[in-house]
Amino acid sequence: MNDPILSIRGLRKSFGPTEIMRGVDLDLLGTERHALIGPNGAGKSTLFHLISGHLAPSAGTVRFDGHSIGGRTPQAINRLGLARSFQITNIFPKLTVFENIRLAVMRPHGLAYAFWKFIDSDRRVREETCRLLELVRLTSRAGAIAGEMAYSEQRSLEIAMTLASDPKVILLDEPMAGMSNEETHYTAELILEVTKGRALMLVEHDMDVVFSLSDRISVLVYGQVIATGTPDEIRANASVKEAYLGEEVAA
Amino acid sequence: MKTALLLVLAGVAALAALPFLLSQGLLNAAIQMLIAALFASAYNLLCGQAGMLSFGHAAYFGVGAFGTVHAMNAIGGAGLLPTPLMPLAGAACGLVFGGIAGWFATKRTGTYFAMITLAIAELVHSLAPHLKGLFGGEAGVSTMRMPAWGLDFGSTTQVYYLTLCWVLLSVGLLYLFTRTPMGRLAYGLRENSHRLRFLGYNVHGLGMGVFAISAMFSGIAGGLQVVSNESANYVVFDPALSAAVVLNTYIGGVKVFLGPAFGAALMTFFGYAVSDLTQSWLLYQGILFVLVMMFMPSGLAGLIGMAGQLRQRIGIARLMPLLLLSIAAAVLLSMGGAFAVEMLQRIFSQDYRAMAKLAAGGAWPPVTLLARAWSPTAVATWAVPVALIGAGALLAWIGQRQLKQATERAGGAA
Repeated sequence: MNDPILSIRGLRKSFGPTEIMRGVDLDLLGTERHALIGPNGAGKSTLFHLISGHLAPSAGTVRFDGHSIGGRTPQAINRLGLARSFQITNIFPKLTVFENIRLAVMRPHGLAYAFWKFIDSDRRVREETCRLLELVRLTSRAGAIAGEMAYSEQRSLEIAMTLASDPKVILLDEPMAGMSNEETHYTAELILEVTKGRALMLVEHDMDVVFSLSDRISVLVYGQVIATGTPDEIRANASVKEAYLGEEVAA
Repeated sequence: MKTALLLVLAGVAALAALPFLLSQGLLNAAIQMLIAALFASAYNLLCGQAGMLSFGHAAYFGVGAFGTVHAMNAIGGAGLLPTPLMPLAGAACGLVFGGIAGWFATKRTGTYFAMITLAIAELVHSLAPHLKGLFGGEAGVSTMRMPAWGLDFGSTTQVYYLTLCWVLLSVGLLYLFTRTPMGRLAYGLRENSHRLRFLGYNVHGLGMGVFAISAMFSGIAGGLQVVSNESANYVVFDPALSAAVVLNTYIGGVKVFLGPAFGAALMTFFGYAVSDLTQSWLLYQGILFVLVMMFMPSGLAGLIGMAGQLRQRIGIARLMPLLLLSIAAAVLLSMGGAFAVEMLQRIFSQDYRAMAKLAAGGAWPPVTLLARAWSPTAVATWAVPVALIGAGALLAWIGQRQLKQATERAGGAA
């Protein structure tokens, strides 16, 4: 089971003359939790965009579960079993929390474009929606307008929407940004819990979370992976210290 | 929920009773109101629910109309379908044409989407006069309602009931559509189509589907108009119709399901009642639209919702005088405004300019308005609108202050 489910080779992305990704090689194993760290502007979010179909790579390959997905549409990639959250909250702001999650739950239940039956009468969708609400502790907020909730609650909602399609691979882009300590702790536990049996790739600035949650860590600096290893290996890696952790310690 | 259902039932009962209460002329107006209400509801599926602002919906109304007129004339005038089912031809044509147009239009969003819909409507509009075989040239295509199912459809009353059935059925279906998975997705499309993509939905296909369904119901509205008028003319492709449905929908309020239908019925009625009395109907329509957009962006339906919220906050006893005050203010303001507009319209009309030139010494002859002669140069003439508007503004100001006091008191008590 621990063959790579997602494997990236020689991935490049340029915007005009500016090269953002300069040949990334990265493997995500079938059931590992893999964090991606690096200084601001290293290209972490761009890498997520390239994997999830938001951007098309300039060169290189992305293979997911036996399919080459580089340059495919986001919906095609999502249907293969890869779901992501966004760094900048990306929800349906004027709909209720319940509705937000239900929209995410409908498709995996094969109800994408049905206009011949009522959504309220579908018990499976309702139960799954309620389960996800419970999971991210938003049950009491089910009727609230999503855009009017606290930022941290919106982050939780993002996680629930990402989980809705029961994906094989989850990409979480700074899921804990703006959360309190208690919320961060709960969310870290939650991520640990829900990613059992699937692969997670995580971008997060909270180093405690990164080091406690991850099986492996990759360090991305200026569009290249300079090191990949277990948390202990990364802690001990001299070039990482210099490029990234060193800066933080010095600052 | 229960009160809403009761209100709807009461509304349906009232609509069903109309033929016993109205004259033939008014019943004809009621038919037009129903058709406009359906058209606006169909439009609102696209505009309000899915957030796609189309500027060319007359195209689908018109295609539905011509589809129906040709279906009625088919087989040597016997008709493709029995008369009561004729709007189905309009629905089919609207659906097919809407699907094709929607495929192109929904490739883009926002302003670009609006421009494509406008371009498609203009294309049909400028093509129609040249295709005489299909659109009948300036004379249009006329037809006859054939008797069917033991009814002869010769009287306005029968046509009214036929229209009412179709409109109720269609609006009902449009409402039920909002409760289906695809209807819910339409809201998602409006809110954040980007996110939908990452949830695995084919956003282009979804947008096209919603577009086609909206066009289908617009086609039914077009078909009903043909059944009622027994003719179709390429005038239905006029951009004015596309504009009217946008204005009606927003005046009614896009956030409430029946808002657009309400707005369209109201504006159609005003158009019917007022267009004989004034030449400035379009101006009034425009002013009303601007006022609604400026002061109550949620439309007339939103206004009713707001009154309901206020009633909960400050109680019916305090709300009633406020409501009466604001109605009085609105009436005074519109009377003053209408008086000024009508006076100016008459003074600036060509007839009047010619008359003034002929008059001795260049004196301005009096203008007849409301069965009374007014001298355009007399202060008293202009004092009327000034006084009306002044009084209206005063009432509005008092109302605003009382509203503020009442809400502050309610806020303090809470």
